[in-house]
Amino acid sequence: MFAERVLRATGRRRRGMDRAIYALCIVAGALALLPLVLVLAYLLIEGLKGWSLGFLVSPPGGITSKNSGALNAIIGTLEMTGIGLAIAVPIGMAVALYVVEFHEGRAALIVRAAVDLVAGIPSIVIGLFIYSLIVVRMGHYSGIAGSVALALIMLPIIARTSEEMFKIVPRRMREGTMALAMPRWRAIGWVYIPTVAAGIMTGIVLAVSRAVGETAPLLFTSLGSNFVVTDPTRPMSALPLYMFQNALNIGFPAARQRAWAAALTLVAIVLIFNILGRWLGRRTLASGTRT
Amino acid sequence: MTADTDLVPIRIAHPAPEAVAARAAEADTVHQPADAAISVHKLTAYYGTKLAVRDVTFEAGQHAVTAIIGPSGSGKSTVLRALNRMLEVVPGARVEGEILFHGINLYDRDIEPAAVRRTIGMVFQQPNPFPTMSIYDNVAAAARFNGLVKTRQETDELVERCLRRAALWDEVKDTLGQSGASLSGGQQQRLCIARALAVNPEVILMDEPCSALDPIATLQIEQLARELAQQYAIVIVTHNMQQAARVSDQTVFMSMNEERAGYLVESGPTAEIFTNPRNKLTEDYITGRFG
Amino acid sequence: MTAETAPGRPESPAALVRHRGLSVGDPILKWTVRIFSWLALAAVGVMLIDTAGHSVKLLQHTSAWDFLSGTVWQPASTIYGALPFVYGTVVTSIIALIFAVPLSLGAALLVNEYLPAAVGAPVAYAIELLAAVPSVVYGFWGVVVVVPALRPVQEAIASSPLGAIPVFAGPVAGPSYFVAGVVLTIMILPILTSVARDSIRSTPRIQREGAMALGATHWETIRHVVLPFARGGILAGIILGLSRAIGETIAVLFVIGNQPQINASIFSPGYTLPSVIASEFAEANQPFHPEALIGLGVVLFIMSFVVNLAARAIVERFERRAGGADVR
Repeated sequence: MFAERVLRATGRRRRGMDRAIYALCIVAGALALLPLVLVLAYLLIEGLKGWSLGFLVSPPGGITSKNSGALNAIIGTLEMTGIGLAIAVPIGMAVALYVVEFHEGRAALIVRAAVDLVAGIPSIVIGLFIYSLIVVRMGHYSGIAGSVALALIMLPIIARTSEEMFKIVPRRMREGTMALAMPRWRAIGWVYIPTVAAGIMTGIVLAVSRAVGETAPLLFTSLGSNFVVTDPTRPMSALPLYMFQNALNIGFPAARQRAWAAALTLVAIVLIFNILGRWLGRRTLASGTRT
Repeated sequence: MTADTDLVPIRIAHPAPEAVAARAAEADTVHQPADAAISVHKLTAYYGTKLAVRDVTFEAGQHAVTAIIGPSGSGKSTVLRALNRMLEVVPGARVEGEILFHGINLYDRDIEPAAVRRTIGMVFQQPNPFPTMSIYDNVAAAARFNGLVKTRQETDELVERCLRRAALWDEVKDTLGQSGASLSGGQQQRLCIARALAVNPEVILMDEPCSALDPIATLQIEQLARELAQQYAIVIVTHNMQQAARVSDQTVFMSMNEERAGYLVESGPTAEIFTNPRNKLTEDYITGRFG
Repeated sequence: MTAETAPGRPESPAALVRHRGLSVGDPILKWTVRIFSWLALAAVGVMLIDTAGHSVKLLQHTSAWDFLSGTVWQPASTIYGALPFVYGTVVTSIIALIFAVPLSLGAALLVNEYLPAAVGAPVAYAIELLAAVPSVVYGFWGVVVVVPALRPVQEAIASSPLGAIPVFAGPVAGPSYFVAGVVLTIMILPILTSVARDSIRSTPRIQREGAMALGATHWETIRHVVLPFARGGILAGIILGLSRAIGETIAVLFVIGNQPQINASIFSPGYTLPSVIASEFAEANQPFHPEALIGLGVVLFIMSFVVNLAARAIVERFERRAGGADVR
């Protein structure tokens, strides 16, 4: 009869469970965001206290000195990241080309596996490796060793991004270059690379954002220095190293302040590069492979 | 108590008076053909701003098979999904009009969509048993979380009952522990039917259930539909006219107008639609002149 | 982009004919690419061999077994045992996973299932930004903010009835396995959340609809359909996070207390493989001290290698099943 034909709504317990899980997820999300908010807040509040343009361009003084700046670190970071890129970009793109364009079967797979292996190595172990490879041979710490360590950190990112970019070069384009009897090297250099340049840039930008923030691989390679050094065969400082050394001297207020200022600078640089890189990446995906 | 906390019968204070009166009048009469289970009144559906179907009105009989046929894009699936409130799952989908189920408007604000879906079940075009569950668990899952069974014995009986009714029991009774995805296409679809039966629905909607199956499995499903009609109301969407003619008691023919919106052309007893259609469009479709 | 409009110097027909054969440029490029790639491969090989060579020197002083199972680390007496650091690495990683897994699952579900896309996308982006912050910043912030903040928490638990259990016993110094675990949680949260989100998002709609058509509530759909489907991807993400936690050096160095000991209580200070290497290497002038540290580096390398292999294997295994999640 009609009265029995009713719809069965969800009971209290199940509805309660549904709502409880929703609440738990909100708590989880808030807890996940909390550290970011806290870190950024502290950075801004404490970092700005000791920050000034002078910080970026003055050389360091003693531990307790008030007017000491991070020029050595800035120059060191710029130089070592630059040299590192000069190594990592050609090799990364070469590996990508090797795998995608000149697929030589076994050999290409081995190379790729090696690059993937490097990606998984903890950065301090990379520092140890370069120590064995270069520092011991040279007899002393140097900016070059630091650069190579950074290059190893950046290499897998650049290689992977380049590989993906070369893979999505459209077939019509390839066939077009073949129809023109364009030699391979021309096709790659003049056609493919310009086409996927934005995507490769993304990989490079993201790699830089990672390398700029790494401390561990530099500890036993470039070691750090209190002098403003431009000669890469000598030990050099870098922003994370600078911050690390000041942070260890937490007892001295001046050092502490410098550490916060360095942290603010470092995070600002890293975030700018990271956001830039991701924005570039989205643009590349959105517009396909058109430049 | 399970019934209280998992499922709550709901009664609506104001069912449509006509329906109540009609039911009251019919209570004492002998079996009436095409006793309406679902009445659709001027159903109009939008996906965002795009009109999908307009002003669809028909009735699906109580112990009968109602087929919805028509060319691609005529909104058949849209109408079907509106019947069990699965349409609103699509972001941007909007429904206007009334769908009366025993006098209750399913789109009334007080009615929970999940309640509708427990009484009006659905079988999909692509068989979708839960791949991470065994055959037994597939059938039992919905009954369990809807609180319809409490003990292991009740569950065993339910599973056997539903698999028998879906004509699958003999084939799987010894392998109930195997994954639901390990069956053939036709078996998977029957498993989905068994799963739908486990919730004790009144109506079963089938959205082109045979289009992914081979001819033998198709015939099995068709036969099953006819058997199930003895106890449930079946509404089946199909693009296969012969299937509609074989399986259904009533047919609803839909088509697409110039604005690519679906509308109902004609509806009535299957025998009439196929031998003596009133509308020329229907006749053209039936005889294969288009669609 | 048609061939006609492809950028390139237009060649005269004669030049085209001349180049039809082997252009000089092609082999040059090919060999350059080959050499660079093999160079990379060689560099990796040499690094491994060199490092292994250095650590083999350690075997002159201590047997491999004594090194790996030794519980005492006292460079001043040239005693080198690796166990305290392996213990510390394992304990801090486990603590980090215990916190990070539920948090990341909850956050991933929140972003994908509950929040509207307009709100969810910025939240997800913000969580991913956490991964960009350098570890030295986390370390410094950790020692300045987190250690003082967690000290009362640790003391409260240690002095409560729970403190009777050795794992939660005092005394509380401030820096500890627990604090290091919390900082590691923050650092691995982004990768876990990102991978979980990808897996959850890749659940086929038709599976979800199947559950909804049976009258399931939102949570029931998640529980019976979405989560089982995303299992493989989530697991792979956990292993990736574990790999990151194992190798984290600088952040842990600031907050773990740097005591080479093995202590059952998570509130006591300890040491991990990467942080001791970073800490002691610069002044490692005891005999065999540098070699011992390099040996620790080898142990760390092997640990992370095994974990990465496991991640790779899990991803492949689940991708072979019913349309598993795509995890990079």
